[in-house]
Amino acid sequence: MEASEEAESAAQQQNNAAQRRAEIRRRKLLLNSEQRMKKIVGFSQSDADSARVLEPRLQLDLDGMEACSSKRLSPLLSESLGSVSDEAAADERSVSPRRGLQKYLSRFDDAMKLRGQLSAEKPAQDSGGEEELDSFCLFRLVCSVALAVFVRIFVCQYLSIFAPFLTLELGFMGLHKYFPKVEKKSQTTMLTAALLLSGIPAEVISRSMDTYRKMSDVFSDLCVYFFSFITCHELLLLFGCDAS
Amino acid sequence: MAAGFNWFLVLSSVFLCNLVKTLLPSISSFLSKIFQKDADQEMEMRTEIQNMKMELSTVSMMDEFARYARLERKINKMTDQLKTLVKSRTAQQAKIKWIVNIVFYILQAALMISLILKYYAEPVTVVPSKWIAPLERLVAFPSGIAGGVGITCWLVVCNKVVAIILHAVS
Repeated sequence: MEASEEAESAAQQQNNAAQRRAEIRRRKLLLNSEQRMKKIVGFSQSDADSARVLEPRLQLDLDGMEACSSKRLSPLLSESLGSVSDEAAADERSVSPRRGLQKYLSRFDDAMKLRGQLSAEKPAQDSGGEEELDSFCLFRLVCSVALAVFVRIFVCQYLSIFAPFLTLELGFMGLHKYFPKVEKKSQTTMLTAALLLSGIPAEVISRSMDTYRKMSDVFSDLCVYFFSFITCHELLLLFGCDAS
Repeated sequence: MAAGFNWFLVLSSVFLCNLVKTLLPSISSFLSKIFQKDADQEMEMRTEIQNMKMELSTVSMMDEFARYARLERKINKMTDQLKTLVKSRTAQQAKIKWIVNIVFYILQAALMISLILKYYAEPVTVVPSKWIAPLERLVAFPSGIAGGVGITCWLVVCNKVVAIILHAVS
């Protein structure tokens, strides 16, 4: 009889212990879930959460304790405040990696968009080829050839051939506005994509590309001019018409 | 006389290289057609699939399900075979294109290097140095002769001009 009573009491004690352990596990999970939610949601809500952290902790402690006194509350409060400040510092540290992660993700999105643009523009580039010669470009080339021939025949004995060329380029700068402006579509190339991803603003890139295009035009004019000059010189030598 | 035509030789070489470069896709496709043996088979398969599809459209699925299913299986099988064939043909074409490009670039590089080595010390043409002042040193590089037009300068100029001409023509 006594043995059965003892066995029953032992079983009851075991049940109570199991229940207590379950209760402790539940509270621990709840506590951790608040911290987890705070980390997921972010820093902006951390202040609101930090205030809420106090309450459940106090409530949990108040609920858990059978006899609670005011003495036990104040150290608990100070401990909670200290833990909140620690959490704020930890949150500040976690903000910078979070911001870095967001920055990385935004850059990744930009990279994927640029990749899509590149793949979309590649067939157009392959089929369309380079830009067509517009009227001003053609005018420049024709003027360069004409000037080269003129300089070879009349001017080169007196001064350098590059002086008239520079004058011609200055004239082109002034005449540019009288020609119809051709809207050149900015194409996304690997270079522009890499520059965009490295953080350089698009406006700076487009201005640099415009400057590069203008320099390229001047270089083309110079090459055509020099080529025409040398060819004219050689043809004159060939036909023996050189009077210089 | 030979020395007087150095400039023309370089110009012709550059022009030839650029011309062949523009014709590379045509050369690649021509060679692909020569080395391709399965072109007829592919055409036959396509025709057969087309015929079977036409036959399938005349067969009622409700009334002759077995025949319909058999025909559809045949079409699917032949379509898969055709896809495999097209894939291998495309891969072969890409390979041929790659080989042709590599060979061209090697030949072009060899030609340019040989021209540079040939005219390293002598200019392709000579003009009075005061004509090309103040850039006479740059223009004469690497020959170093005052008033001369060096091979590098002439190559750059010819490349640019030929590219512009071919672009305008094409």
